[in-house]
Amino acid sequence: MSEVPVLQVDGLVKHFQVSRGIILRRQVGLVRAVEDVSFEIARGETLALVGESGCGKSTTGRLVLRLMDPTSGSVRFKGEEIANLGKDALRRLRRHMQIIFQDPYASLNPRMTVGEILAEPQRVHDIGDAASREARGRELLEIVGLLPEHASRYPHQFSGGQRQRIGIARALAVNPDLIICDEPVSALDVSIQAQIVNLLQNLQQRFGLSYLFIAHDLAVVKHISDRVAVMYLGKLVEIADKKTIYARPLHPYTHALLSAIPKPDPSLRAKRVMLQGDVPSPFNPPSGCRFHTRCVHAQPRCSAEEPKLREAAPGHRVACHFFETLPVPVIIARAGAANGKFAERLAAFEAAKEKRTVEV
Amino acid sequence: MSVEALETPFAVDPEATVFARAGIMRRLARDRVAATAAVLLTGIVLAAVFAPWIAPYDPYYTDLTKVMQTPSAQHWFGTDNTGRDILSRIIFGTRSTLMLGLVGVIVGGLLGGVLGILAAYYRRLDGWIMRLVDVMLAFPAILIGLAVAAIFGAGLTAVVIALVVATVPDVARVARGAAVGVMGQEFMEAGRAVGVSDGALIWRYLTLNCISTIFVFLTLRFGQIILIGSALGFLGMGAQPPTAELGMMAAQGRDFLFMAPHIATIPSFAIFVIVLAANLLGDAFRDVLDPRLQT
Repeated sequence: MSEVPVLQVDGLVKHFQVSRGIILRRQVGLVRAVEDVSFEIARGETLALVGESGCGKSTTGRLVLRLMDPTSGSVRFKGEEIANLGKDALRRLRRHMQIIFQDPYASLNPRMTVGEILAEPQRVHDIGDAASREARGRELLEIVGLLPEHASRYPHQFSGGQRQRIGIARALAVNPDLIICDEPVSALDVSIQAQIVNLLQNLQQRFGLSYLFIAHDLAVVKHISDRVAVMYLGKLVEIADKKTIYARPLHPYTHALLSAIPKPDPSLRAKRVMLQGDVPSPFNPPSGCRFHTRCVHAQPRCSAEEPKLREAAPGHRVACHFFETLPVPVIIARAGAANGKFAERLAAFEAAKEKRTVEV
Repeated sequence: MSVEALETPFAVDPEATVFARAGIMRRLARDRVAATAAVLLTGIVLAAVFAPWIAPYDPYYTDLTKVMQTPSAQHWFGTDNTGRDILSRIIFGTRSTLMLGLVGVIVGGLLGGVLGILAAYYRRLDGWIMRLVDVMLAFPAILIGLAVAAIFGAGLTAVVIALVVATVPDVARVARGAAVGVMGQEFMEAGRAVGVSDGALIWRYLTLNCISTIFVFLTLRFGQIILIGSALGFLGMGAQPPTAELGMMAAQGRDFLFMAPHIATIPSFAIFVIVLAANLLGDAFRDVLDPRLQT
């Protein structure tokens, strides 16, 4: 890939200070939410960021957008460093990076009509005049599968799926290159999830968008992503292209995640890799490998020495001391067939859509 | 490219002009108590505004031949110790009383609202603003009134300042509470992600979304402010004689409580009615505007 990646994240760190006291503030601890995360996203590519809740995936998304300031590390957008941009430069940057939020009920201002919501990004960035913004709003509504007349309605008059479409339209309003999708479908029910995921894919093809797709649902991730990055307690533990990670995951945490995908086939009684206990607190993360407290393969070295991300194959990096020697769990071989219901729905949906396209 | 058509047509909504103010008014009208309170308060306000035309006598005309008369057909509420018509004095007195309440609510509401919202938006200011508010809360309004009167001299200005100072911290707390809730919503972050300026975020995203909470609080607060204002008048901190002001009228009547109880009780009752009507209306507004209280 000779082209400059749309997004390069290098050694991103975010610590939240926990302090007490009102006037004499003193720091009593650090929450290490994101620790040394690096990845890149090429043009038109989808990188999925997966992990349990609280592992820092959303924080990473917000750091990339500079909705939060990173503690250290670099974020480069099309080769330009953005981790220390000033206010105005940051606003200009917002034309090129957008975000879609998880909760479609909370992410639209209830006091603005849909038309106003869609005109807002254009107004902020001085695109066009009032009439052209309105026209663009109507066009955007059509692009995301709503009706132009919906522009005069308020968010509360829409269903969750429709609201998420409005959120997507808002993100598209300024023709961005990169969209951070922060769990865009996890608040929706399954049939709507498929619609939204398909919409996102269509838009990607149509406008050449890159996505940072934050999710915990591996079935959805499998459908939409090109590459997958797995996070655990603020650290990247494995990153590889989709096929590799679903067929040959190397990190024990990825094993566990994949085996947690529900399988609709009752005859498949493969043993699941069950994790014991909860995710430790990022306030006081375990020494060495952060996963060693729950890892079935943990050895003394794991609690003493922190594993580095190492290249296992071209484009496949793993942070585990022993990935070469770990047994491959049986379950993995079958994980491919694991998301039957969802895949079926998506397939049926695609077929129906194709039919409709042909008719039109 | 075709897009997936949506199969969910909208039911035609007669109140498509969202949050329809008309709808709120209609729901208020359906509440009997609220409607009565609203009518009463409107009547009182109109009477106060058009006092010179409505009052049957000059509120300052003393007729020493008709001192301390009990209510009669001629003087509906009787006359006071200098023979002034109490009804006329109450109608004029309502003017200053309502004015106190309104200025207290509007100025105090604006200042408090701005402080509370800024505290919620700029977390750096939060601690400082709210500690200032705590300090203000620690002083009773009466004490502030006494202090202000001691510095600037007694009068309506002193009362207004005391009322504003007493209102600001309460409003600031309520506004901050509402605004902190709104700050947690994702649309604030969405606005920032789009690049909306701080000013627009504060006004169109934050303030407009917590203004109904503040408004409801202020309507409830209106009655209390009138009560405090009257209390200050009663203590002699407010309007000076012979100006008609309800609290002061009650104070003057106190000396004659055993001879002519109506001189003190009728102005007190007028205060009671105004405060009750304002509180009932505030309650009704809260019921109508607060979505959490709706079934």
